Amino acid sequence: MHNIWLIAKREYLERIRTKAFLIGTIVIPLVMGSLVFGIGILASHTKSQSHIAVVTSDATFGADLKRQLESGKDSNMKVDVLAPSDAVRSSLDNQMKDKDGTLVGYLWVTPASNPGARPSYVYKARSAGDIATKNVLQDAIQTVTTREQLVIHGLSNSDIDTLTTSINLDTSATGSTQAAFFTAYILFFLMYMVIMLYGMNTARSIIEEKTSRIFEVLLATIKPEELLAGKILGVGGVGLTQITVWMLAIFIIANSRLAGTLGTSHAPVSPAQIGFFVLYFVFGFLIYSSLAAALGAMTNSEQELQQLNMFLVIPLIFCFAMLAIIIPAPDSTLAQVVSLVPFCSPLLMDMRISLTQVPPWQIWLSIGLMSVTIAAILWVASRIYRVGILMYGKKPNIPELFRWLRYS
Amino acid sequence: MPIVELHNIRKVYDSKVAVEGLTLSIEPGTMFGLLGPNGSGKTSSIRMMIGMTVPDSGNVSLFGEPFRRAQLHRIGYLPEERGLYKKMRVIDQLIFLGCLHGLTETVASKRAKSWADRLQIREALGKKTEALSKGMQQKIQFIAALLHEPELIVMDEPFTGLDPVNAALLMDTLMSLRSEGRSIVFSTHRMDQVEKFCDGIALISRGRLVLSGSMRAIKSRYPRNRVQIAFTGNDSFLRGPAILEAKNFPGGAEVKLASEGDAQKVLAAAVASGAVINRFEIHEPSLEEIFIEEVKKSFGETEAVEA
Repeated sequence: MHNIWLIAKREYLERIRTKAFLIGTIVIPLVMGSLVFGIGILASHTKSQSHIAVVTSDATFGADLKRQLESGKDSNMKVDVLAPSDAVRSSLDNQMKDKDGTLVGYLWVTPASNPGARPSYVYKARSAGDIATKNVLQDAIQTVTTREQLVIHGLSNSDIDTLTTSINLDTSATGSTQAAFFTAYILFFLMYMVIMLYGMNTARSIIEEKTSRIFEVLLATIKPEELLAGKILGVGGVGLTQITVWMLAIFIIANSRLAGTLGTSHAPVSPAQIGFFVLYFVFGFLIYSSLAAALGAMTNSEQELQQLNMFLVIPLIFCFAMLAIIIPAPDSTLAQVVSLVPFCSPLLMDMRISLTQVPPWQIWLSIGLMSVTIAAILWVASRIYRVGILMYGKKPNIPELFRWLRYS
Repeated sequence: MPIVELHNIRKVYDSKVAVEGLTLSIEPGTMFGLLGPNGSGKTSSIRMMIGMTVPDSGNVSLFGEPFRRAQLHRIGYLPEERGLYKKMRVIDQLIFLGCLHGLTETVASKRAKSWADRLQIREALGKKTEALSKGMQQKIQFIAALLHEPELIVMDEPFTGLDPVNAALLMDTLMSLRSEGRSIVFSTHRMDQVEKFCDGIALISRGRLVLSGSMRAIKSRYPRNRVQIAFTGNDSFLRGPAILEAKNFPGGAEVKLASEGDAQKVLAAAVASGAVINRFEIHEPSLEEIFIEEVKKSFGETEAVEA
């Protein structure tokens, strides 16, 4: 145990002192945070401010549409209302061709030939790609014509406002499906990121020791399984430190005043859920890191490792695909079986725990299975490691790998 | 009681036999040289000696008992291929490696500093390994192998890549360790060092033991049939019947006699032929000559068997 601790401590301290760690821990959250805020602020402040013209013979419609577009919920346009004539059309067409003109398009309303039918609306835009303005315009016309019709049918303005308010469906009473989704997705992405970053770092650090050939000195004092376990814990500790810093940053940001302006509602997460999240996260990390360590033990260079890293990604992708099946039916036999598979438990068992009542024996079983798997992977990896490094220069094939397992 | 005892060990990698039926024993407090051409199984033997790999058959005993991992703390090992953490400060690495051998940080740090003074690399301690020269790195590894004051020091090719000054410094260090009662095993190609400093040797070729024993005993097995002659003038006497083989050098020749007693005949023939003799010295074959002769013999034999 002492040796594992020494290896882990060295690995942790050496990594945490690097510039890469500082950049990854501080700069990435800063960039991500400012991106989220930037987009949020932009989105809340971006109202269409285009300048358009509306050509209609119906003065009331023209005035209503102008009001809607100039002071509507999500538009802040400049609107000219004009009466239709050939001179107006050619003048507008000329303005559209003018490079320095501000007019981005005009709406031409032709009254329907028979009363009661809808008039036809033609919008001619300077740029065919200006979808935003088109959408705003379409919504505004819809609103204005609806209100007109409702007024015609004798409704008061306040009645209309009540009718047109959008409905908020409150689902919080039925359990925290949203929270479960939320945690599962966060867990998945955290897991994915950490595994790709730190799982691969574990593998890389093992390969680094092979290329620097210091392992021979190390193996003259400690066992390969101690070396691998120490590496996984050390590199993993760095990963956990980084994630903790990130999570704290997210927590602070989410609780800050700024977040309120974005209107994000918090999914309610119970302390027990957080506990299971952390538990399964740690186990998931250990399983995938030991798998990465095994890959590192098998390969001699970064390039070879790159070719094998799909073995890390495939189980994750499989779990992600399974989410779609488990979420609607978290108690189905399939869900129960799959969530007990050690490589999937970290994601899927945790998901089921937040969705439904999972019997405690299943939770214990999954933890037991994961522990056994980690030990088994480490055992296999250390055998491969010890034999592999001492007969370098040759890529092992599958029968050889099996033969190595029998060496002590 | 020998400190290292290999009994009939055998190791096969795939189809290649690395070591075959190797038996040797090393007495405590001696310096032991393991000789052999490239690829003869020296490194494989050393690795089995300290339990890095396990022999397919045969027994390894250290300190008079069968190999156990716990014995590793009493061994200092310098592998053939040197390796240190490139980005780590030298002093930190030494402390780390010392701790792995069971030292506390304070003790490891104190010993590392005193060793660095002794090997004249104090200024390297604060640097990262990648900033050091190869020779310096080798000294660092040398220190790493000795920090925990091992009773048995095992070094695979400790002198390759060192300049003569540093090689002599390390050799002196090893000599003084031996005088403190430590046992030292090292492999090398450099016969002059083995000849001068080693108490015992083993010569391995093609994974088999060719020769072993104390230096004196081995030498006495060979006849004193080598003559070093420094002369000027006529060299026709070198083609006489008493001479088996002669290598001409500017101002002299190295001669191998057919039998030990022929030296005087050769000297007489030389004087008679009119050559001016400046020096005429009879000696036993050097270790290098024994080495070359035995290795050639071992290759010849196996080739004969295979054919």
